[in-house]
Amino acid sequence: MTVVDIPPPLPVRDRSDQRDVAAGALSPMLRRLAEEEATGVLVREHGTLYLAQGRVVHAESPLAPGLGVLLTAHGTLAATAWRRATEHSTSPADAARLLLDAGLLPEGALELCHLDALYDAGYFALAPSSTPGRFRYDGAPRLGPLPSVPVVSLERETLRRRLLLHRLWPDPAADSAPLIRADPAGAAQVPPRRRAVLERVDGARTALRIAHDLGRQAFHTLVDVRRLTADGLLAPMPVPTAPDPPPAGFHPPAPLTVTDPDIALLKRLRNALEAL
Amino acid sequence: MANTETALKEALTSIEGASGVALVDYTSGMALGTLGGSKTFDLNVAAAGNTDVIRAKMRTMEHLGLNAEIEDILITLSDQYHLIRLLKGRGGNGLFLYLVLDGRANLAMARHQLKRIEQDLEV
Repeated sequence: MTVVDIPPPLPVRDRSDQRDVAAGALSPMLRRLAEEEATGVLVREHGTLYLAQGRVVHAESPLAPGLGVLLTAHGTLAATAWRRATEHSTSPADAARLLLDAGLLPEGALELCHLDALYDAGYFALAPSSTPGRFRYDGAPRLGPLPSVPVVSLERETLRRRLLLHRLWPDPAADSAPLIRADPAGAAQVPPRRRAVLERVDGARTALRIAHDLGRQAFHTLVDVRRLTADGLLAPMPVPTAPDPPPAGFHPPAPLTVTDPDIALLKRLRNALEAL
Repeated sequence: MANTETALKEALTSIEGASGVALVDYTSGMALGTLGGSKTFDLNVAAAGNTDVIRAKMRTMEHLGLNAEIEDILITLSDQYHLIRLLKGRGGNGLFLYLVLDGRANLAMARHQLKRIEQDLEV
């Protein structure tokens, strides 16, 4: 006869502290600034958010192509027109406004590119960082004709994007490393948008570089990169860590070899799912 | 030439039977704009979910070796229509319009109107 042990109950979070948990999800400082309707510039490790009256009007990150790249890459706007506009203005948002006033840009296209760029850079700006963010009160960011975004929306979308990437392929190694083709013969059945990414994988370019080349958002390129990685079509360039050269027939370890569940990650996932 | 908000407003007011409309980026599943919907019908959820519909269809076409492009996708429920129109404009970086119609709607007219709104948006 077998004795069936009842497993211990799963930990249940006290619901009363949910608000605090949600508030601390990405950046408690940002939440506070939103609540006090602050105007200024929040500089974080991987990007910068521009706030006007507590709303995000603009975001920049070295990890994401900016508004100019998105506007000029697909013929929405001539590159020379963009260059001329940026020479006469202090920020990409100002440059866009100049072009809009001059009738060189359709309003709808500009709005969409602006939102694309904002959420894209915002995603990286709100990435977990090792240093605290700094906020400078500054009257320069203004609510303008371009759409602004409430802080909670940006946070919610950033969390959703993190989950989406994690669901596609849980290993972030390919996000920042130079990429190599893992199975050059298997590229026959890749949809066109993803094929464009795959064709630019050459052992030197990273996902960010490919995003720049294609004039696409960095996050969108990461989605494609993770999907291609999951399909076994590309891999991050293996970093030589061992002093000895790997023996013949060496394969880089499969990215997902974790045997014990990552409690911190599961908790973050649960929080994010509950926040949806 | 219209901005997003105007385009969505026009879709909702000029298309008979329309109860919700969203402009969605199908790589991220994010709705760049929504209008209408209700407490029980969250357009943001619908937007994210329908990106999977489009991706599945595109993959199938790829596997079949079809080179044509998807213009729109119609989903017929017992009491609603859901109409998905993929945007092709120059900057149309993988966007689609998602329209919820009630069962009395004139489908041919709705498709025609949606096409016109797409052109107005000039993306």
